[in-house]
Amino acid sequence: MWSLRLRLMCGMIGGMVVLLIGFDLIVYHIISRVLFNQFDASLESAARILSASVEWDDNKLDFEFDVEMVPEFTGGTRSAYYEFWRNDGVPIRKSPSLASDDLIWFKPVNHPHTFRTFVMNDGRPIRAVAVNFLPRTGKNNPNAADSPQSLILVVARDTGYLLAQLRFLKYLLSIASIGAIGLACAVAPVVVRRGLTPLSAVAAQIDNIREDNLKSRIADEHLPAEIVPIQKQLNSLLARLEASFERERAFSADVAHELRTPLAGIRSIIDVTLTRDRDAAEYRSALSESLSAINNMEAMVAKLLILARIETGQMTFNREQVRMAELVNRCWCPFSGKAAAAGIVFENHLNSALVWKSDAAGLSMIVSNLLDNAVEYTDRGGRIWVTARKTDVGIEIIFENTGNQLTGKQTSEVFGCFWRGDSARSNTGVHCGLGLALVKRIIEALGGSVCAESQNGLFNIRIYLPLVKNGL
Amino acid sequence: MRILLVEDYLPLQKSLTKGLRESGFAVDVTGDGQEGLWYAMSNDYDVIILDLMLPRMDGLSILKQLRVKNKNNHILILTAKDTAEDRIKGLDMGADDYLVKPFAFGELLARLRALMRRRYDQKCPCLKIHNLHIDVASRRVWRGDEEIILTSREYMLLEYLAMRAGQVVSRTDIWEHVYEFNSEASSNVVDVYIGYLRKKIEKEAEPPLLRTVRGQGYILGA
Repeated sequence: MWSLRLRLMCGMIGGMVVLLIGFDLIVYHIISRVLFNQFDASLESAARILSASVEWDDNKLDFEFDVEMVPEFTGGTRSAYYEFWRNDGVPIRKSPSLASDDLIWFKPVNHPHTFRTFVMNDGRPIRAVAVNFLPRTGKNNPNAADSPQSLILVVARDTGYLLAQLRFLKYLLSIASIGAIGLACAVAPVVVRRGLTPLSAVAAQIDNIREDNLKSRIADEHLPAEIVPIQKQLNSLLARLEASFERERAFSADVAHELRTPLAGIRSIIDVTLTRDRDAAEYRSALSESLSAINNMEAMVAKLLILARIETGQMTFNREQVRMAELVNRCWCPFSGKAAAAGIVFENHLNSALVWKSDAAGLSMIVSNLLDNAVEYTDRGGRIWVTARKTDVGIEIIFENTGNQLTGKQTSEVFGCFWRGDSARSNTGVHCGLGLALVKRIIEALGGSVCAESQNGLFNIRIYLPLVKNGL
Repeated sequence: MRILLVEDYLPLQKSLTKGLRESGFAVDVTGDGQEGLWYAMSNDYDVIILDLMLPRMDGLSILKQLRVKNKNNHILILTAKDTAEDRIKGLDMGADDYLVKPFAFGELLARLRALMRRRYDQKCPCLKIHNLHIDVASRRVWRGDEEIILTSREYMLLEYLAMRAGQVVSRTDIWEHVYEFNSEASSNVVDVYIGYLRKKIEKEAEPPLLRTVRGQGYILGA
């Protein structure tokens, strides 16, 4: 791939070469036409003068003045020639400059005069004009019948000087063009470099941007208008990158933070236990507490893995007929004991005939997380209930519970990774704030959406699952 | 020495409480921010171990409230927040030390001992009152060349008196710094333990170290 600089330079120089060649050709053509026109005009003028100054007298052609005294017809370097013919091609008279030579006889065609270029026997290039005229009759030629009807006059002149001038013009234009191209070759790199300076400045600014200073932006001062849109797009890209990196950093920090606390618990249990010799029951208790903390960490890591798989598109979902009421009841089983202990009532209002085409495993994860969440934050003696509403475009399932303590702002944040309401802080290590984030990602991967609302002490989560049209 | 532990992660809270008590500290525990502030305002703890992310009130708010109300307890922040900004913020808000989770329990104990020394203006890790030597790190006591074996409570009492050697220490002070919040109150429990301690550290051939100042309390080594 050619560099922009090379492309611009080649474009500039190539364009200049084409333009100069075109210019040279046009100038040469115009000048040669002008010169030939002038040459032809002078030939035609000479022919007109000659034809007007002869008369047919005494069966011969006489000049009114001594044409032989005109130097150009007597020979020399810039010789001119003339020759008179009868209409039938019989020569009558010719200029002394022709000596033993003859001009070529030709008749004007469709015009009173016709020009022709040819080479003399000695190789000289000449241009000639032929005119057809009726000569005046002299006093010694009273019998008009003896007079020729018309005569042909061919006047010619050497074109060597004219052609030499044109050759000189050709050389001059060629040398001027080559010089101009050479100059362009020398100047083009400088011009291109100066023209590309803003791009180099932008490149230098981009080069200075590292992953740890994504807050910096490309300045638009002194940038030409053509580069400003690129600068704006790059700055927009940087802003998106910064936001993405910030999210990644925050997520990593959250993961580290959430893993540090249970890790500190496990280490502390082991450290304290090892400070002295203890009986078997104490060791057993320490191991059991450590195992419990490890189980919580394992659950968190499993959720993180699922999130990562969904975000990298490695999670595959099937479409199958799922009996929704059965699925909700099955997901409720692990939490029923805890709910009963807290006096929480659970009501599944889903129609037992409700069947939906979706991924059963994904739906189970969604429902389990929502019910786990509901049991955790429902007040003692409170109520959890599940309802559904079928529409033309999909299904809406609503999980609702009493005992809401979240504000409107907190409700809008519940689907963020590691987000926990203040009331959840007491469950550090047990609830890491990934459940609802996972619910949102799975639902979105299934093509649906989810939202949370809280009012009048009630908290509800609505999930929308679209109708699958392709019959999968 | 009496410590308040404010930590909401139960496995850590339980193990730390156990370890600190076994190491000779009187420990009050809570996992709730507001309750932690109430404990700190109600008692004169030698050191408060404070987590930052707590239910109902975060650790930095507790720290701020304590400093605003001129509570001069030594405070050690124990948290999973490990960035330099977090440490700077915590220390600049008035914390005396900052320890990041996970940590070695031995390091926590060493930091607590250092804070205790700072609280009672001690530099040497060994306390010496005449020929009574106390090694705070190993919690061993010698009178002359003879090692004295003390119970945990007796050692706590002696260490507190030794930290304040030469000062009259009231029964209330002893109660507040050696006994936990939930300890059963008894009018003469301090006197009883002072009696036990006196029997173990005093020698007939040696001058008395622990004296009673009538109506005020006790004084060690004056």
